[in-house]
Amino acid sequence: MNGHDKSATPLLRLTDVNTYYGQIHILQDVNLEVYPGELVCLLGGNASGKSTTLKTILGLVTPASGTVEFAGEEVQHRSTSYRIERGMAVVPENRRIFADMSVDENLQMGAYLRNDKAEIEQDRERVLELFPRLRERLNQLGGTLSGGEQQMLAMGRALMSRPRLILMDEPSMGLAPLLVEQNFQIIREINEQGTTIFMVEQNANMALSIADRGYVLQTGRIVLEDVAENLLQNEQLRKAYLGR
Amino acid sequence: MTEQRIGTDEWVEQHEARLATQSELRELVYGFGEQLPLWGRLGLLLLIGLFVPVLTSNPFHIRIAATIALMATLGVGLNVVVGYAGLLDLGFVAFYGIGAYAYAYLSSDFTGVHLPTLLTIPLITVLGAVVGFLLGLPSLRLVGDYLAIVTLAFGQIFVQLMTSLTRVDLSWVPFLTTDGPVNLTRGPNGIIELDSISIFGFVADTLTENYIIRLVVLILVLLFVHHLNNSRLGRAWRAMREDELAAEAMGMPTRLLKLQAFAIGAAIAALAGTLFAAEQKAVFPANFDVTLLITLYGVVVLGGLGSLPGVLLGAVIMIAVPEILRDIELASLLFYVGSVVALIGLIKPRRLVGLLLLNVAIIGLLVQVIAESIWPDSLAELPSVASVFPEFSVSIRFVTAIIDSLPEIVTSIVRNWLAIPVGNQELIGNIALAILIVLILIASRIKQTTQLLITLVPTMYLLALVWEIRLSGQESVTRLIFVGVVLIVLMIYRPHGLLGTQRIEIV
Ligand SMILES: Nc1ncnc2c1ncn2[C@@H]1O[C@H](COP(=O)(O)OP(=O)(O)OP(=O)(O)O)[C@@H](O)[C@H]1O
Ligand SMILES: [Mg+2]
Repeated sequence: MNGHDKSATPLLRLTDVNTYYGQIHILQDVNLEVYPGELVCLLGGNASGKSTTLKTILGLVTPASGTVEFAGEEVQHRSTSYRIERGMAVVPENRRIFADMSVDENLQMGAYLRNDKAEIEQDRERVLELFPRLRERLNQLGGTLSGGEQQMLAMGRALMSRPRLILMDEPSMGLAPLLVEQNFQIIREINEQGTTIFMVEQNANMALSIADRGYVLQTGRIVLEDVAENLLQNEQLRKAYLGR
Repeated sequence: MTEQRIGTDEWVEQHEARLATQSELRELVYGFGEQLPLWGRLGLLLLIGLFVPVLTSNPFHIRIAATIALMATLGVGLNVVVGYAGLLDLGFVAFYGIGAYAYAYLSSDFTGVHLPTLLTIPLITVLGAVVGFLLGLPSLRLVGDYLAIVTLAFGQIFVQLMTSLTRVDLSWVPFLTTDGPVNLTRGPNGIIELDSISIFGFVADTLTENYIIRLVVLILVLLFVHHLNNSRLGRAWRAMREDELAAEAMGMPTRLLKLQAFAIGAAIAALAGTLFAAEQKAVFPANFDVTLLITLYGVVVLGGLGSLPGVLLGAVIMIAVPEILRDIELASLLFYVGSVVALIGLIKPRRLVGLLLLNVAIIGLLVQVIAESIWPDSLAELPSVASVFPEFSVSIRFVTAIIDSLPEIVTSIVRNWLAIPVGNQELIGNIALAILIVLILIASRIKQTTQLLITLVPTMYLLALVWEIRLSGQESVTRLIFVGVVLIVLMIYRPHGLLGTQRIEIV
């Protein structure tokens, strides 16, 4: 998957993005690109601005300057629902499952902007094949799922919009090591089936093991960018995140 | 094949167990209701509603039924805003007022406009929706407490305006010739002599006719909101109420969704306002004050936010109970029935309740015999139970007579059974109340069943005594406090309302 075509237009491109929360300058001149078919991860410590980057991409916050391009179109002033309609989907930090809705309803919510019934049903089948665990508990309330199951549901819900780009915020958070590994296999599978993925992670080792490329964010600035293998070897990064 | 339940951790197990024990009442109502299709349920409601004027011609009863129908309609509207969309709107009553005043302007000599009802009702409903939408716009950025404060202010401003717009200078309006200030609302005197509702020549003059119109409108509104809730819009509201950010991340236009909830709620309120104004044949600013708002929130919260059957039940309880409590005998009956129901809930296994009641009955007779022998002539002479018992005759009228005089019969039996003193009722009542409170406190701490039963025997006796000599004759204010206490206790035991589902929070 490494051989993406650099001459193609990126699916997602952030150019000189600056994002503020009130007076606090969080993202500082962030530039990044994600090409169609890639699996790219964004690494960084706590409070480095990873979630803020995702929120900026999604339109949950508006950047003060800079552009967010999605599929060649500038979207930084568009609403979130417009961007979702264009093909973004998100697996939010802490999953944010609809607690009082059943697993099935949660999945349907993911397809909120679609009205092609037959194809929605097809995608639902595909999600349930990917996560058989969810099929067992279709009528269980989302809030009563275990943390790992909620993570699966959040991913399934994102897939239900048949997105071109899935944004994931720390899919490994709070999961047992075995489950993390399983989850990452599934993420890779989703990517191999053709969905582009942009993933925020703290678990750098794990993320880089499946990613094509990675960016490293430090206090709101991109400080490093490379293909995954190189990042895994990078001294600086090793000391900072990989702990060996 | 017993399948292993993968991934059911303790929390899941507990949740299911909790649901099983806590939703008996819900099951009872829904278990029956789910057998019926929607039209069956609504048809049943219509039938029950239509039966009220057949059963009773007492205008007092029909007024209660008509008020319940109106409050239920309003409750259904408020439920859209608060229950479905999760917006704490405290200005809701203003839309009701706007509907009522709009009807007054379109159907009275005050303006000289007399539009046909078939035109005013859709017009006012749309007006309500538009105003709701417009008011929603500035409220969009507000959440929680702030939204509540701003909308509360809006409700108060409406009442203030209707009270004070009595001398308005309209000389600046082009093409309008006025001499002096104009009285726009007639202030506290209200706008009076409104037209009755008239549809295809049928004029709703009487209370009963208005009641039936309200009933029909309630059912139509229920039908509409039920479908709304099951539509894409309804699902989006639920998602937004649960997690606004996640809903937005699914592509739901949350601002528009909120505006739609405001608008639909306001439209229903305005519609209810026209029905109210047309029956009262007048509108006054005082009709739309905070008391009504509190009642309405009682209606939707009591039954369980987001539940339509809950709204109906809430309306019946919030409206009927205070009315019933005006009638001493009915209040007593309700009190005794309530006490027994509470015992049934409190005592497990349930068959012990019968034993307890038997013991209470025996104690009562013993006390009477003892009191009679120690202080002869100290007990009040009461009319015998037989005197309130209807004369027996083999006919359907005997049955209705029994039902009609049931409260009287029950209170008479209880009063004859109790040893009610002639004098010093107040003092004895206060002492009994003090002992009662102590006994209740003791009983609430007892875990063992036998001890509990033994304590409850004198407790129940004193409860009846205190009610009879101290509370039942009190002003209605005391009864409202009583209702308040019942509500508080109810909300402690069922924080999600009578028919609501328990919310699940991810922690
Ligand atoms: N709504 C907000 N208002 C003000 N400050 C905020 C807001 N959201 C985030 N921040 C701040 O912005 C900084 C970056 O937050 P962000 O959530 O992007 O971090 P992160 O890299 O995702 O961290 P983590 O790995 O802990 O999730 C933090 O210092 C945080 O406190
Ligand atoms: Mg984060």
